Amino acid sequence: MAQAAPPGMNEVGSAHESSRGKLFARSLPFVSVVLLVLLPLLHPGPEIIRLLFITLVWITASVAWNLIGGFGGQVSFGFAVFYGLGAYTTALALNHGISSWIAFPLGGFVASLASLLVGLPTFRLRGPYFAIATIGASEAVRVIMTNVSLTGGASGYRIMETGAFHQLEHFYSALALAAVVVAASILVERSKLGLALVAIREDEDAASDLGVNPYRAKLMAHSLAAALTGAAGGVYARYAAFIHPQGVFAFSISVAILLMPIIGGVGTIWGPVIGAVVYGLIHEELVASFPQLHLLLYGSLLILIVFFEPRGIMGLLGRWFNAMQRRRRLSGSHS
Amino acid sequence: MNAVDLLNLTIAALLLAGVYAAMSVGMTIIYGVMKIVNLAHAGFLMLGAYFVYQLNSSFGIDPLLGVVLAFPVFFLVGMAIHWLLIRRLPTSDQPTLVSLMLLFGLWLVLQNLGYLIWGNADRAILTRWTFWVWRIGPLSIPGVRLVVFGAAVTSVAALEFMLHRTWFGRAVRALMQDRDAGRIVGINVDQTARVVFGVGIAFAGAAGGLLAMLYSFSPDFGGAFLLRAFVIIVLGGLESFAGVAIGALILALVETFSILILPASYQPAVAFSLLVVALVVLPEGVAGLWHRRHRPA
Repeated sequence: MAQAAPPGMNEVGSAHESSRGKLFARSLPFVSVVLLVLLPLLHPGPEIIRLLFITLVWITASVAWNLIGGFGGQVSFGFAVFYGLGAYTTALALNHGISSWIAFPLGGFVASLASLLVGLPTFRLRGPYFAIATIGASEAVRVIMTNVSLTGGASGYRIMETGAFHQLEHFYSALALAAVVVAASILVERSKLGLALVAIREDEDAASDLGVNPYRAKLMAHSLAAALTGAAGGVYARYAAFIHPQGVFAFSISVAILLMPIIGGVGTIWGPVIGAVVYGLIHEELVASFPQLHLLLYGSLLILIVFFEPRGIMGLLGRWFNAMQRRRRLSGSHS
Repeated sequence: MNAVDLLNLTIAALLLAGVYAAMSVGMTIIYGVMKIVNLAHAGFLMLGAYFVYQLNSSFGIDPLLGVVLAFPVFFLVGMAIHWLLIRRLPTSDQPTLVSLMLLFGLWLVLQNLGYLIWGNADRAILTRWTFWVWRIGPLSIPGVRLVVFGAAVTSVAALEFMLHRTWFGRAVRALMQDRDAGRIVGINVDQTARVVFGVGIAFAGAAGGLLAMLYSFSPDFGGAFLLRAFVIIVLGGLESFAGVAIGALILALVETFSILILPASYQPAVAFSLLVVALVVLPEGVAGLWHRRHRPA
């Protein structure tokens, strides 16, 4: 698999990767999608479906963040803006009787427009401006949404959908969206845009000398990421049927969307997926019991990852895989 | 609106600008020397507020004295954090993803410490001057704002004096201009960076204490002020102290006068709009504009 190696990654393992391992790695995503599609046949409880649904929404946002944050190296602290705008747009559209087939893309579209507000002024500049502006945008948008009367301000907004509630329908829409996002991530990575983004991350001057337009590449990746995150927010909003600014625009949403790809491994295809699964489980199962410690946990996790394993779980897996290979090779030469 | 209101608002903006400047210099000096955007600044503002609050409520120490005490305490905390975490970061001319993530993580940890120790209830500090208003003819100036302004301006002036009159200050200014050249002429870069980080955190803590005399606070107190500090240092061109003063004044004026047309709850949005406008119109800050005018390339 032609994965972008984050800086300093040694690729000893992949050269010697056995064909069986490769086949396994390639088929794993398809197998897991098929399993998820067929899962409801086993009649799992609604609680399990809910957990899977939430995890799929997290996967979507995490993989989307990675497009600009991982491939492009432009770290954003404000993805809750897109998530929340997507949620509110979808909610408004659904309440006006628009089908969810149109409401989700509409949420993505509005989020993508909002991404320009941060991207247009900052991507032309070098330096910390983008990261700074994302923090500002999330503060500002939350404050505005808390005061906008159209959507009920701070007291929240309810989605009135007619018809019965089918949990599986929500589950499948989240699954479809997550599959679309992972596919988009793979396509971006293999496209010229992906190459441009990685080049920008490693050395913006050099990339620009080679004819890459950093401004355009960053802007495109950012608005694509925003659109996908907005759609994820929409899928969540339709499921939750009630959203409020302190929920979907919360600082903790931005933290989560930032943290998941970093846990899993930034700049890879599967890292953000793994990170989202791990985060989803930790968050739903562990942190729910210790809400007063979750910032401490996530903050120290971030610090530890920065110092000890900047490539996250993918880095750990790669190291483990290399060690296995080495051991197998050694034992092979002895026999 | 008459002339008296206008004058009152202008005075209020000026007084606010003082504490905004004190709040932002710590971030500027750290960015200038280390090219690190100190996202944990918000956390130290919050801790500074609680430090002054706790001294006041447990030992009856005057808040102003508490702010003075915050300088040495937060200076040592800053040096310790530099020794523990910051010095391990790779050096760079640009803020790296790694440094942003590290300081963001530190911010989250500090915020959680605040919640663990003090809970999430809003607190406020009552000072001797809280209800005192100085009246000059038709003008009325809240006493506490005047006192805070005085303390803020004194501390910024002291920093300015140190930067321009001591060898340490010369070293700092040299590193802000060019780290490698600074190293060549014999500046101990690591030691200077450690002291600078300490000074930056000391100013964050003290400014947090000053802000606590004006506003109520809770453990997520710092976020809105972090945004304001960003706007100010971007307006100031990121690395200039004169720029910080001008940026603080601009933000304070815009915020104060925006009350006339916008509800007060929209204020963080005002700061953000100013940030976007500043990035589009003067990306190098006010200081950059001045340089362009006076030194045509």
